[in-house]
Amino acid sequence: MKQRRIIAAVGFALVASVVAAACGGSSGDGSEDGTPTKGGTIHILSNGEQIAHLDPQRNYTGDDLAFAGSTMHRTLTSYAYAQGDEGSGIVPDLATDTGTFNDDATVWSFTLRDGGTFEDGAEITCADVAYGVSRTWASDVITDGPTYASSYIDAGDYPGPYKATAEQQAAYDKAVSCEGKTITFNLKVPVADFNYTTTLLAFSPVPKAADTGEKYDLKPVSSGPYKIESYTIGKSLVLVRNENWSQDSDPVRSANPDSFVYEFGLDEAVMDERMIKDAGDDQFAVSAGIQPENLPTIFDDDAFKDRRVDEYDPFVTYTNLNVKNLSCVEVRKAIYLALDREALRKAGGGPYTGDFADGFIKPALALDYKKSTMPDGLNVDGTANVEAAQAAMTAAETACPEVATRAKDGLSFYRPATPVWDKAVAIWIDSLGKVGIKLKDEPVEPSVYWPTVMNPETNYDIARGGWAPDWANASTVIPELFTTSGGFNLTRNADDPDYAEFQTKVDAAKKELDRAKQGVMWQELNQYVVDRLWALPGTFTKVQAIWGSKVGNAYQWAPFGAFNYGDLYVKS
Amino acid sequence: MSQDVVLSVKNLSVVFHTPDGDVVAVNDVSFDLRRGETLGIVGESGSGKSVTASSILRLNNSNTATTTGSIVVSGVDVLTAQDSEVRRIRGSEVAMIFQDPLSALNPYYTVGKQIAEAYLVHHPRASKADARGVTLDMLKKVGIPSPEKRIDEFPHQFSGGMRQRIVIAIALINNPKVLIADEPTTALDVTVQAQILDLMKNLQSEFNMAIVLITHDLGVIAETALDVLVMYGGRIVEKSTVEALFSEPTHPYAWGLLGAVTSLGTSDRGELVAITGSPPSLISLPAGCSFNPRCSYALEICSAQVPLLRSVGTQGSVTACHLPKDEILTFGRKAASR
Amino acid sequence: MFMFIVRRVFFALVLLLAVSFFTYMLFAMLPSDPAALTCGKNCKPDVIAANRIRLGYDKSLMEQYWLFLKGIFAGRDYGAGAAAFSCGAPSLGYSFGQHECVTTLIAQTFPVTAYLSIGAFVLWMLIGISTGAMAALHKGKWQDRAASIFTSIGVSLPTFYIGLLVLFSVVIWLGILPFPSYESPFENFSTFLRTMILPWLVLAVLSAASYTRLTRNGMLEAMNEDFVRLGVAKGLTTRIVLRRYVMRQALVPIVTIAGLDFAGLLGGAIITESVFSLPGMGKMSIRAVVESDLPVLVGTTMVAAVFIVSANVLVDIAYGYLDPRVRVK
Repeated sequence: MKQRRIIAAVGFALVASVVAAACGGSSGDGSEDGTPTKGGTIHILSNGEQIAHLDPQRNYTGDDLAFAGSTMHRTLTSYAYAQGDEGSGIVPDLATDTGTFNDDATVWSFTLRDGGTFEDGAEITCADVAYGVSRTWASDVITDGPTYASSYIDAGDYPGPYKATAEQQAAYDKAVSCEGKTITFNLKVPVADFNYTTTLLAFSPVPKAADTGEKYDLKPVSSGPYKIESYTIGKSLVLVRNENWSQDSDPVRSANPDSFVYEFGLDEAVMDERMIKDAGDDQFAVSAGIQPENLPTIFDDDAFKDRRVDEYDPFVTYTNLNVKNLSCVEVRKAIYLALDREALRKAGGGPYTGDFADGFIKPALALDYKKSTMPDGLNVDGTANVEAAQAAMTAAETACPEVATRAKDGLSFYRPATPVWDKAVAIWIDSLGKVGIKLKDEPVEPSVYWPTVMNPETNYDIARGGWAPDWANASTVIPELFTTSGGFNLTRNADDPDYAEFQTKVDAAKKELDRAKQGVMWQELNQYVVDRLWALPGTFTKVQAIWGSKVGNAYQWAPFGAFNYGDLYVKS
Repeated sequence: MSQDVVLSVKNLSVVFHTPDGDVVAVNDVSFDLRRGETLGIVGESGSGKSVTASSILRLNNSNTATTTGSIVVSGVDVLTAQDSEVRRIRGSEVAMIFQDPLSALNPYYTVGKQIAEAYLVHHPRASKADARGVTLDMLKKVGIPSPEKRIDEFPHQFSGGMRQRIVIAIALINNPKVLIADEPTTALDVTVQAQILDLMKNLQSEFNMAIVLITHDLGVIAETALDVLVMYGGRIVEKSTVEALFSEPTHPYAWGLLGAVTSLGTSDRGELVAITGSPPSLISLPAGCSFNPRCSYALEICSAQVPLLRSVGTQGSVTACHLPKDEILTFGRKAASR
Repeated sequence: MFMFIVRRVFFALVLLLAVSFFTYMLFAMLPSDPAALTCGKNCKPDVIAANRIRLGYDKSLMEQYWLFLKGIFAGRDYGAGAAAFSCGAPSLGYSFGQHECVTTLIAQTFPVTAYLSIGAFVLWMLIGISTGAMAALHKGKWQDRAASIFTSIGVSLPTFYIGLLVLFSVVIWLGILPFPSYESPFENFSTFLRTMILPWLVLAVLSAASYTRLTRNGMLEAMNEDFVRLGVAKGLTTRIVLRRYVMRQALVPIVTIAGLDFAGLLGGAIITESVFSLPGMGKMSIRAVVESDLPVLVGTTMVAAVFIVSANVLVDIAYGYLDPRVRVK
């Protein structure tokens, strides 16, 4: 739960992790499902006080995307409603196909299906989609959402629909144009996987007349099978059937239960007890995130085997090294070899927190993942290899005495000031101390941790990081984390002698329209970073969830690391 | 019991049970009180005089104190009577006034209400208007100026002397036979003391009631009482008339008390400084005569045997002292003439 | 008396103004940055700066405080162009986390807290005073010792622990009551009762402990007062003496403390509301702390301050009625 909370706070979108039995990632038992039946009420127990954002253009967290997308907000394309690998594939949703594009993938078109309606019965038009997307430009009102649309689409200085002048609006209408039921996006750059981008709820339709700006978050208009009956932050969100939705126009959603009740503000210990007890309405409940102390109760007892899951979520954790300061791979290697990753994992909750990562791309991105060759001497069981680390330090003293001296004098270690990190940093200091590397602990108030380390003025040597791809393509991982134009590059690797070569390879991969070929290129680039240790792979994190005995189809939807809420049903 | 004996105390003993052991606060005290008479009880703090007084209304906590002997009021033994019978006696047959008028009144109710309450509890059929009338009369009697106005005021709005008048009003509202006054003037200003004593004397004759006046102040005794009990260490050590006490005191302790009185007949507060040493701790009373460690005339027998009360002297005084009679008279007269 | 009240109310208003100033400044100076908190993946300096403007934290602290104060009397406008909206007076600000005016949020959550507080308060006064009186009347006996055990348990056990224990045993393990799911008493009274009974009891029993002690000691102290002895000497029955003399005196400090305790509770019973999932003001405050929702935090703190300051004034006035000695002429 803690980890999920951090994830939510960071606000990263999640996409694409395959259940990956083939990769040995899953120890979940899954549910044996019969034929889904209609009717009943699904309960969702939550420690949170609200859905971070129900406004589709502002929704950007895995669990909320899975929930709102599968119940209320339709998008041009969607992930398949399926368990395992299949769930990471895209299917047409509001559109009739997964999009058509020109030769260099700079112009994308989607044609809307017939029969799609909003909850008031009005037909969903191309203009509604264009309007919805346009809201993402209004960064002073529509906050927290993904900004892909505005960074890909060429709309000049468009400020969003609320403040736009007629000219600015005309420029947008040209960039995102409607021709009958066909919507066309004109992009600034080639985006080979733009139809994955359109799975984001930012590409959901919004009827302009109903847009209340900031307040739209409380009562967005539904385009899916359910609509809001009541929403009280801190108490509950109740969804009931949208009578104007028709199955014929929506081949994706199964819409089994009659209603959903999202219960907010529950104590974490109480949630677990209720799920374990499985009484009354809790038999129809799902709950994600289990308190560490309750994990053995649930996972060591076969009584729970049909209603629990322990699986990869889309996240990878890692540690950024400031390559500018630590401009010597031997020192970086010494740090990695000396680090007792097993002790860190144990302190964080043991194997339930995840498996040791072999890079930055999770096996869930099946096309892009290939097991990396890890540095010589790295212990596969996660324990420190002090001898090998010492040898790396000795090598560093001749290869780059200045950097070695810097490491011995003390490296600044930036991390959020939380109890979990207080424990972890002690292990770091202890591990690295064994090879003579000193650390200066720099705890940062959690809410300002990211802004602090992303500020170029902050001169850290080591800073933690965590990432999940925005959709099932490593194009949302490698370039984001390791190129100078990436959104989350904390490695300061621009001056590394190999950087120019790396950038060229990344550019080539981004332009590659053959998805299989592109995958191989991402695999190589992942290995490229691992070889240079610009960042140290940490863990492929896992999520644990439990559901009531009368809930069917309670699988984890790979792209989101969350239940596929819309696919759940009540067992009769 | 003679017809006009209104209060008869026989062999009264009170034992307090404390965590440190039992304490005999009152030991074998007996006396009679006749209608209209005033009995003074003198002694230092801890002598048992106040406990004797509160026993008469059965005010000692029965959980922590054992009271034996008998206290007969109007033919009823207070110590063995039913609770309801004791409640009837309290206030109507025997009333009490306390040392500190500042704390004796309930601060949360008007004085009128508190006086009327005392009346109503013994006159359940009376109306509130009746009670108010009686209260107003009584306020006049005890000398409260403009009673119609002051009847609705709270105790804190009155001076100490006025408050004691109100306490007296409460005590006398039911025309009791016996008034127990426990140090009624001690907490008051010197000038007010005399007024209160005068008031008590006047009302005593008007209501024809008997008074038990408890004090450590021989000056007060001299002005008001007829008979006197001198108590020490829980026992009566001398029983005499006021005249006898001042002319022919028969107990070494009384001699000391007399020495402490600066000038008789005035209302000056007499301090008991002439007696050396301090009052005994009730929890470990000296063996024999309790007074012997402080007594400059003490004999060997005094620390071995408790002296019994016996008649001494020419004025009918009774004393508990081992000294030979003639020595008692000699020393007593000498002390009285100092 | 009238002048006394006018004077007290005036000082209370000045005090509230000072509280509002310090509350605003204190929360504004917390190390967590609300503008950085929601910027997520796009957490670049320009996004934080834009967010700061949106939330209104780009202005100087004094200007922010002035806008806050002005909003209380004149309402407040937010946003611009087609996305503009406003919070009418009395506006305590706008929560960008909950997409609602703080005044509206407080109006929604306060009734829950009020129901919880009133029910618990009535119960705890009944329990506290009756057990305290029982202990005083049976001083040193088993009743007194039982009350003393109750007191020491009550004051030492944390609400959080007892709340969870009761919730687990009664609801989850024994299944006697359904899991608390708050409903307004006007919508579904039986659900309301079933939801509130446990939090009422837990809060009441734990808070009653100190009132047991207060009542017991107050009564024992009163029983030693001369005026109580005089009451007995008048021939009054035990019941009347206890009521008019002993209890009357023991109640004075109890009423004073109870008034302040009750006001504190109205500001939000944070732990109880959290454990029993009651959507009250206390729970909203916790959420606001976690999410650095400063407007909500300032708003709930101000409301709590209003209750505590008013309770102080009321207690002072009540004190005058309860104890004639301090009554001002």
